[in-house]
Formats: sequence, structure tokens, C-alpha cells
Amino acid sequence: MPGDVPPPESEVVAIGREIAAALPSPARHPGKAIDARAMDFTSRDAELRAALFRFVDVVPACRSVDDLAAHLTGFLGEVDAQTPPIKAAMRMGDSRAGRAALGTAAAAGVKHMARRFIVADSPAGARGTLQRLWRDGTAASVDLLGEATITSAEADGYAARCAEALDALTEIYRGSPPRPLLERDGAGPLPRANLSVKVSALTPLLRPDAPALGQEDAAPRLRALLRTARELDAHLHVDMESFDSREAITDLVLDLLAEDEFRDGPSAGMVLQAYLRDGGELLDRVLAFSAEHERASPLTIRLVKGAYWDHELVEARQHGWEPPVWEHKAESDRNFEALTLRLLAARPAVRVAIASHNLRSVAHAIAAADADVEFQVLRGLGDDLGHALAHLGHRVRVYCPVGDLVAGMAYLVRRLLENTSNESFLAEQARGAALDDLLAAP
Amino acid sequence: MTALPAFRNEPLLELRRAPERARLDDALRALDTRLPLRVPIWIGDERRDGDALRSTDPGTPDRVVATAPIATADDAHAAVAAAQAAFPAWAATPAADRAATLVRGAAWMRERRAELAALCVRECAKPWAEADADVAEAIDFLEYYARGALVLADAPPGLVQVPGERNTLRYAPRGVCAVIAPWNFPLAIPAGMTAAALATGNSVVLKPAEQAPGCGRMVVEALRAGGVPPAALALLPGEGETGAALAAHPGVATIAFTGSGAVGLELLRTAAAKPPQAGVLTRVVAEMGGKNCVLVDADADLDDAVPAIVHSAFAYAGQKCSAAARVLVHEAVADALLERLAGAVAVLPVGQAEAHGTVTGPVVEEAAQARVARYAQLASDTGTIAARRDPPTSPGWFAGPTVATDLPSESPVLSEEIFGPLLAVERVCDLDEACDRVDALPFALTGGLFARNPRTIAQVASRSPVGNLYVNRGITGAMVGRQPFGGNRLSGTGTKAGGPDYLLQFVEPRVMTENTMRHGLVVG
Ligand SMILES: Cc1cc2nc3c(=O)[nH]c(=O)nc-3n(C[C@H](O)[C@H](O)[C@H](O)COP(=O)(O)OP(=O)(O)OC[C@H]3O[C@@H](n4cnc5c(N)ncnc54)[C@H](O)[C@@H]3O)c2cc1C
Repeated sequence: MPGDVPPPESEVVAIGREIAAALPSPARHPGKAIDARAMDFTSRDAELRAALFRFVDVVPACRSVDDLAAHLTGFLGEVDAQTPPIKAAMRMGDSRAGRAALGTAAAAGVKHMARRFIVADSPAGARGTLQRLWRDGTAASVDLLGEATITSAEADGYAARCAEALDALTEIYRGSPPRPLLERDGAGPLPRANLSVKVSALTPLLRPDAPALGQEDAAPRLRALLRTARELDAHLHVDMESFDSREAITDLVLDLLAEDEFRDGPSAGMVLQAYLRDGGELLDRVLAFSAEHERASPLTIRLVKGAYWDHELVEARQHGWEPPVWEHKAESDRNFEALTLRLLAARPAVRVAIASHNLRSVAHAIAAADADVEFQVLRGLGDDLGHALAHLGHRVRVYCPVGDLVAGMAYLVRRLLENTSNESFLAEQARGAALDDLLAAP
Repeated sequence: MTALPAFRNEPLLELRRAPERARLDDALRALDTRLPLRVPIWIGDERRDGDALRSTDPGTPDRVVATAPIATADDAHAAVAAAQAAFPAWAATPAADRAATLVRGAAWMRERRAELAALCVRECAKPWAEADADVAEAIDFLEYYARGALVLADAPPGLVQVPGERNTLRYAPRGVCAVIAPWNFPLAIPAGMTAAALATGNSVVLKPAEQAPGCGRMVVEALRAGGVPPAALALLPGEGETGAALAAHPGVATIAFTGSGAVGLELLRTAAAKPPQAGVLTRVVAEMGGKNCVLVDADADLDDAVPAIVHSAFAYAGQKCSAAARVLVHEAVADALLERLAGAVAVLPVGQAEAHGTVTGPVVEEAAQARVARYAQLASDTGTIAARRDPPTSPGWFAGPTVATDLPSESPVLSEEIFGPLLAVERVCDLDEACDRVDALPFALTGGLFARNPRTIAQVASRSPVGNLYVNRGITGAMVGRQPFGGNRLSGTGTKAGGPDYLLQFVEPRVMTENTMRHGLVVG
């Protein structure tokens, strides 16, 4: 396919160096450096790491500081290497006063961490952050955190919160100053308000063995949201989740967007996961769809590697299946680059958003794209990269989770795991890997 | 024969992929054109068809799935006599050759995965995922016991040795084994019990459940196709009386049974009552009922607990021995749990087993439907119905999934096995109270716990009497080799199907001690 030609390596490396030079130095952000060190420390001892993750995970279900301390010492008691700090915590667990102090400190620690990843407890509460980002030249996509949806009432509740969020976002951005880079690309105008939604929250009926059930049940709720987005001129982005739900999510989005009423809007998008072995086939399907259904604003494809790698591998192993994901990190990275090239070549039939915190993956996309490509980062993980890219004149969108701590804990744990997983780019970067190694072709 | 590769569970079909689902739909269509299946009384090479017994599709009761004759006491006698005659040769067959027949039988089933699953769907209304798991488990049992029998034969436990004597222990088969099978795992359980007996050198007479003779025939066909001599494995379709006649036969050395507590106790009595002239103490391996409880602590993640409970209670209409019947929930989260449970039940896919995604299909027969309705009425008369789904208006034996709460502590709904889609929820003030209630039950099959404090988990595990305790997951779906399955107390004789010591039930240990001293010299 023309346009699929990989960019010269030298250019990728040069761009990577340029971005790296624009990253803020740790010296100027002492707080972040401490966070980074704390995560690095815990990631060395796998058992301690597991104990802390289990603790973070259970925090919302604890009923008192005493209960918090009991859980913390319960988890720490299972760590083999009882280092002095662990022993000290265990001793505190022996007295009521000690537990009160330990529980209070632990709760504060978790809140502190959560605030790094979760912007606010409601879209309205995120006003300040979103406006500041916008003024600094960065767009956002808001994601509403919540409990798992297992009832219709919960699905309705999530849909209602999404509709309210679309309203709130529209209102928040109404008086914001113009930012031409964020408001128009080669394919036309870009909405300011941008909401990411999860199909698993829109229906309690996502069943891997019956995708039609979830699709049918979610369709009315997503259709209503598409209408609201169209009325408000907002962008609606459907996240991709685990492979168990991929067929339902893909069919749902493409079937709805094919409906006549949505031909003229709203702007909408979906996600392509490069860690899937058959990611390319999904792209074939999406491109065929785009060719067949002309839309006023082209479908935005967010390219990611994929957030459910461990889950996919464990599930496949437990069932004796061939994993749907690549098993070597470099394969995901290479596929990401291959899909980047194909997506870029498919413009303007689709819009492209590159969502990665990997300097190499991002530099590769920049080297291959002339312009008209968006970069997306996660709040709390990709802030520095986002700043650097915005500073270099690229369009950047920050994915901003919003929601209360209780509901957000699963999200927090996932991000922490991602941040400390051995093969993650961010972990390697934090460990001080050489820039040349970080930028090498996968 | 070369050594067998290490055991590995048969992978389930990847039903999240559309082509796999389509393959199953095709298999069901093909099966439908061949119905009803004929199931013979099959003793050696003699087969006698009949239609006194009919199994029907629980979802469409006028569809006949299989027809069979009802074996009489005379037939049982003939089957046991044939099995007795075949026993010496089969017992003398090297363990490796017996194992090879089982492995070939597994291969026969593996080639017919979709067809066999379709038969489970039709004959027992198992939803696809469960039907597929049934086939996979049948294959697992054949493969697992083939390997286990080799270990028993080749590497029995060593004995203490002193100079001048040689002590050896070996395991010999017991004789004829009567396998009396249930309908709820219509392939896996008969295949498992039969394979265990055959692998260790016993001959077998299989009496399949009257509701599932078609599946029973498939088990016999698979094993015979694998090379089990026809005389060593007979098929005896029939009803309760057939099973009773078979069990009472003096020539039966072992009874392997899975089913209701009442029948299990009756079989134990039958075995004990055989006259001394029979020359055998008939051993009974029995897997019986349960009243399985899921405990939910205040720190449980309800996002996980609710779907797991719903699945454990209502998948296959609650007709698994391992299914959840009671939830004992900490009062701090009881309201939230009940509300979400009710909401989840309200959207539970209830319908025909063949529809992909169905969780709760019809129950197996009219009598089961009536029984569930009786308990549901009792629950609504004496407690509160927290959730209830109306069953589909179709001719099948549907029972609407129901959640009851506020029941009096002496309610039969809390103590008797209902074997249907009815779940009782009780509040407790802490897990100690929950453990006390579990401990008060006569059953001890499976149990569940949702809790996150490691100390709580350890405490509950140490107090729990159940055979299989599942922590922070559903309580059904035991896998061969991974979760050896079986209960204690009135739930069973404490044996673990699919576990490393199950085969010991089918053998008798024999010890030989040889003097190796001769004229003051050790010669052996
Ligand atoms: C704005 C934004 C939106 C996102 N939306 C979604 C979404 O909708 N759905 C979704 O699934 N994800 C989504 N993600 C999450 C994203 O998938 C992860 O953040 C991402 O995988 C991390 O990749 P990276 O390129 O930043 O980092 P890298 O460190 O380069 O890559 C890490 C990733 O590589 C893959 N990987 C790790 N080990 C292996 C291995 N051994 N073999 C093969 N592959 C491996 C995994 O996908 C892992 O997450 C989003 C991310 C961003 C920034």
C-alpha cells in the first residue's frame, strides 16, 4: 500500500531525541521524582508489590482506619522478606493506637496516589484542570470511572452520567479561548468537548459467547448518547476493552454509526489494539466501513497497544487457548508501528490518534506523519510526554479519568500495575535506561 | 506403548469466536436430523433396542432425543455375568494397554466435540458453554485416569525393607463395577466413573440416568471404539429399578454412584446387606447432594462477587451438585449485595439451552419444575422474594430464577437440596456466625468465600468442612486434575473425582512378603 513506507530510522531517533530534550527534568519536579522512586522500589520486590496492590484495591471496601490497618498488615504479613519497614508496620498493627496511625497514613498515601491519576470526582469538579489544560494548548477526553455494571439500573446510571458529562464539558469549554491547533485538522473542525465511554458500563449483558446480547442491550443507550453528542457538537469515543467483548463493541459501534441519522455527526471514534495478533484484520474492517459509509466527520481511530495484556494471557493459559495477544513486547511494538503506517496512509478517510507513552512509538509516528495526527496520553502517566509534545507543536489530548475514589480504585490499580510492569517503557525509563536503547527499533 | 505426555486439560471451545459458535449450531442441526437415537441394552456384542424409555428435550418436551428399552433384573444379571466372565482377561491386560484404550477413547470423543456437546444440549438442556465443558471433562477423565492407573501399576508406594525379606505392594482390580450415573453431567460423570474402573482393570456395567441414555451410549461407544473389549463394558439403560437390581447383584464388587442423597444411602444399605455367600464387601463410591453456601465478608468486591454468585446459582438452572444454594452475607454489605443481585437476576439470560448466551435453561423434567415451584412457594410464603424472573412462555420445563431472603432459620429452603434456580440470601453479623451456620448443615460439598483479608481467608478455610472451597471466584466448574472434586458428611464418601487418589477406590492393595534368606545367605 502506498504510504506504508517506514520513515528512516535516523529521523525517528532524531525526533525521539528532540522530544526527550523537551521533557521536564526530574529536578524541577521533586514530588514526582519521589513518587517515581517509590514505585521503582516496590517494583523490585514482587511480593511487596503484590501486597501493596491488594491493599490499594481493598481500600474502598474498608470501613474504618482500624480495618484499613488490619488489611494492610494482613497483606504485609504474607511478604517473605520482612524488612525493617514492614516489621515496623506489623508492630503498629498490634495496638489500637498503632492501627489508627497506620490506617490513617496508609489511606492518605493511597489518596495521594489516586489524585495523580484521577482528575476530580465529577466532570464539573474537573473544570479547573480542563480549562488550565486547554489554555496551555492541550485538549482532553474525559472518562467516567465507575463500578462494574451488572444491572440495568447501573447501565442507565452510567449512561445518564455520560449525558450529564457531555453537558458539563460543553459548558466548561464554552468560554475558553480559541486554540486553532486543537479545533481543526485537515478533515474539518474538531469538537472541544470529548468524552470516552466504555460499553461494558453501558450494558450488564456483555457475554463473550453471545456478543449479540450485549450489543442489543447497549445500543439504545449508546444511540441516545450519540444523539446528545451530536446536538452538543461533542466527540464521543468508545474505548476498547478485553478481547472477550471485542466483537460486541466493534459490531455495536459500526452498526450504530452506519445508521442514517448519524451520517452527519457526531464526531465519533473507536480504538485499535496493536497487541492483538489480528489487529490488522480489525483495521481492514474499519477501513472498509469508512470507505462504504461516508461521514461528515471521519471516524477517529485511537491506536493503542492494549491495556489487558496480563488478563488476556492468563485467561488463554487457563483455558488452553492460543492467546489473542502477542507474547513478546517487541511484537506489539512492531505491530503498533505497522498499524501506525497503515492508519496514516488511510487519512483522510479516518482520523488518527496515537496513544502511547513510549517515546519510540511516538517518535516513529511523528516521523511518518506530516501533520494531522493527534497524540493522546493518560493523566498521571503521560503528563510529561504530553507537555513535551504540545511544546513541540503537536496536537495533544489527555485522557482524564473522573470519578470518586471508591469507584476509581480498579482504574488506579491497573495504572499502577502498568507503571511498574517490567516490560513497560515508563518503567524502563524510570530505571534510567539509555536514550539510545529506548529509541531503538523494536 | 510409549509414555504418555503429561496430563493437560482439554481446552474448552473458544466460544467468544463466531466461527466456533457456528460450528456448534451446525452440529445441532445435523443431530436433529438423526433423532431419536437408539440406545440398546448392550452386553458384549449383543444389542437389544426398545422404546419403553424415552429421553426428551427439556426445552421442547415433545422432541424425543433417545429411545431405549428398560433393562430388567434378568438383564442386569446377564450383564454382570458377562462382566464377571470378561474380568480376568481385562484385569490381566497390561496397565499400559488399558491406558491406551482410554486415550483412544478420548481421541474418539475429541473428534466429535461438537456432536457430543449438541447431544448434551438436546438431551439435558445444557447451555452450550456447559455442554462443551461436559465433553471436555469427559475427555479429561479418560486421559487423567489412564495416566493415574499407570502410576499405580508402575510405581506403587514402597514398603520398609530389611535384609532377608522382600516386601512388595501392588494394586489389583476389585472385579465388576456397577456405575450408576446422573443426568446433570451426562457425559463427564459416567465417563469418569467408568474410566476409573476400567483403567484399574475392573469390568463395568454402566447404568446411565433415565433422563440421559443417549449420552450414556456415547460413553460406551467411545470406550469400545478405543479398544475396551465389548464384554468388559456393558450398557444397561433403565430406571431406578434397573439400578437397584444391578447394585444388589452379588457379583458386583464396587458401586460407583453419583446422584441424590436418598439413592446414595439406599445403595450403601444395599451394599451392606449382601449375603456373606456373595463373598464380597461391596464398596460404594458415592457422590451425593449438597447445600452449598457462599460467604461474603464486608470487604468483598461486589463487582466480582455478584456475577460469580449469579453464575454459581443459576447457570444450568442450578442443577450442578456444586451450585450455590445459600449466600451468607455480612450485614454491612447485605443491602448492596441484595440490590445488585436482584438487578443481575433481572437481566439474566433465561431461555432455550441452544441459544448462545443462555445461562438458565429449563430444568430437566416436569417433576423438577414442580419441586422448584414448591420450594419457591414456600420461600414466598415464609420469607421475602428479592428477585424473580418469569420463565419464558414456552412448553419447556422452565423454572424462573428466584432469590429469596428473610427466611426463618428452620426453613427447609435453607437446609434441603432443591437442585434448581432458587437462591437464599441470609444476613450474618460476622463470618464466625456464617461458619457456624455452614457447620450446622449435614452436607459439605462445595463452598465459597468472598473476602480479601488474608487472615479471614485462613480462618474460614480452617473451619470449613466442605470438600471444595472456592475463594473469590464462582463455586462451580471444578477441573480434572486442578480441583479434585467431591464432598464430605452426607455429600459423599469423601472421594475426589479427578484427583490423585480417586483410583484407589477401585483397587485392593495386595502385599507380598518373600523370604530371601536361604542357608544363611541372602539370595534375593
Ligand atoms: C489516551 C489513551 C487511551 C487509551 N485507551 C485504551 C483503550 O481504549 N483500550 C485499551 O486496551 N487500552 C487503552 N489505552 C491503554 C494503553 O493500551 C496502555 O496504556 C498501553 O498499552 C501502554 O502502551 P505504551 O505504548 O504507552 O507503553 P509500552 O511500555 O511501550 O507498552 C506496554 C504495552 O505493551 C504490551 N505488552 C507488554 N508486555 C508484552 C509482551 N510480553 N508481549 C506483547 N505485548 C506486551 C501491552 O499492551 C502493554 O500495555 C489507552 C492509552 C492511552 C494513552
